[in-house]
Amino acid sequence: MASNQKSPGTGGNTPKPKPTGGGGAESAKDRSRAASRSVAGAASKGGKPGGKPAAAGAGGSRTGLYVAWGAVALVVVVVAALFIVKATSSSTQDLSYTPVTPAPAQVVHDVTTIPTSTWNKVGVSDTSVSKPTVLSGQPAMTIDGKSPAMLYYGAEYCPYCAAERWAMAAALARFGTWSNLQITASSHTDVDAATHTFSFHGATLDSPYLTFKAVEQYTNVPVAGTPGEYTTLQNPTKEEGQILAKYSSSKYLPNGSSNGSISFPFVDINNALLFSGASYDPQILAGLSWTDISGSLSDPTNPVLTTGNYMSAGICQATHGQPGSVCTSSGVQAAAKALGISAS
Amino acid sequence: MPTLRWQSLTTLLLSVYGLGASIYLTITHFEPKALACVHSATFNCEKVTQSPQSEIVGIPVAMLGLAFFVPMIALCLPVAWRSAQRWVHLARLALSVTGIGMIIYLISAELFVIKAICLWCSSVHIATLALFIIIATATPIVLAPGYGDVDAVPAYSEQS
Repeated sequence: MASNQKSPGTGGNTPKPKPTGGGGAESAKDRSRAASRSVAGAASKGGKPGGKPAAAGAGGSRTGLYVAWGAVALVVVVVAALFIVKATSSSTQDLSYTPVTPAPAQVVHDVTTIPTSTWNKVGVSDTSVSKPTVLSGQPAMTIDGKSPAMLYYGAEYCPYCAAERWAMAAALARFGTWSNLQITASSHTDVDAATHTFSFHGATLDSPYLTFKAVEQYTNVPVAGTPGEYTTLQNPTKEEGQILAKYSSSKYLPNGSSNGSISFPFVDINNALLFSGASYDPQILAGLSWTDISGSLSDPTNPVLTTGNYMSAGICQATHGQPGSVCTSSGVQAAAKALGISAS
Repeated sequence: MPTLRWQSLTTLLLSVYGLGASIYLTITHFEPKALACVHSATFNCEKVTQSPQSEIVGIPVAMLGLAFFVPMIALCLPVAWRSAQRWVHLARLALSVTGIGMIIYLISAELFVIKAICLWCSSVHIATLALFIIIATATPIVLAPGYGDVDAVPAYSEQS
């Protein structure tokens, strides 16, 4: 607009000549714009034709830009401050953990006496439960000279192990008698924090059908100064290590590693059925106490039971159908059928 | 005359991305199993999208994202950026300020309450922050006297 042009020689800027031949007079187009553009029009109000209003508008827009960039800087500083405060507070490492203590009798009772009718009612009805990997043609597992055998490899801090132990404890109780079961919880800072569970460290299963060995490699006690690390509890024996290295590899396990690392938890039932990772989402145990979880095992919708039936089917395959009261039950048979194995 | 072509296109693309991500997060709010995300101690989308902070007065935050990005797309269309209507530019600015306030709250909730970061949510936060930066710095230009007038040369563009 002509009214926004500066007069020559008044500010050091180079004004553009008005392209019309009107000598600075507004054209009809300019007047129309002035009427329709309230923003530009407002800036021109009261200004002398030829320059002053433009200077005022320029100052206004420059101030606006300063304000805008100031606001942007403020926002960036606020967001950065949030992350800095978080990072600073995180440097104060959370060293809390849930100690390992003897399992309450009620919890042990609930887990080890699930009625066969409940197992049968569930079968493998929970489709959210991941199926284990079935192997064929592998030699039966021998541990300490005994066969068949089942090997669990996990850690007390591991939330996925926390979930898997409930199913293992319940399933194995159908084949033997637990001693020295203890309770604890997964890491307080890892995902699915403080999931309540058992510890298999020091626990034994007395079974006439199967040898069960558990290796809890790490505790849930954080190592000060190294977040994400936990103190070592137990190393596998050489024999156990060889089994773990062989069957946790990608040769046998679809999601197995090719570099020798083993993901927790890893469960090998007689080298014929492999469980890697949690069979169900540990999130469903969030906020539940040990008694809450053990008390819910009579609920047929609990994924612990479907997982337990898969494990039972694998154990029944290893024991050639012993004991018959377990292996011929409809829940175990349904799991065996789903896995394409024989449980009798 | 300063051109705001890149601002127009960038804000439009950011808004379209934000809308897409908000649609995905709305779906996964109701169907958590559909959520594909990194899962670790620091990053956990499910923990964030299923947290109590994922809803405000019963409305999923992801749906509030939809309510933010749909009008933002309209306000970031090239025709809207060229609009002579002052309110269009002020509405765009007001909406972006509202958005930035919301993401500051959500980032705080993720870092200090939920203690997990949702990568999908973070991508929307970054898009919203970028929108705010572009809109906040471009709005004074489009509201300046003479902007859009082919004959006028805004004084600030001539200053050395």
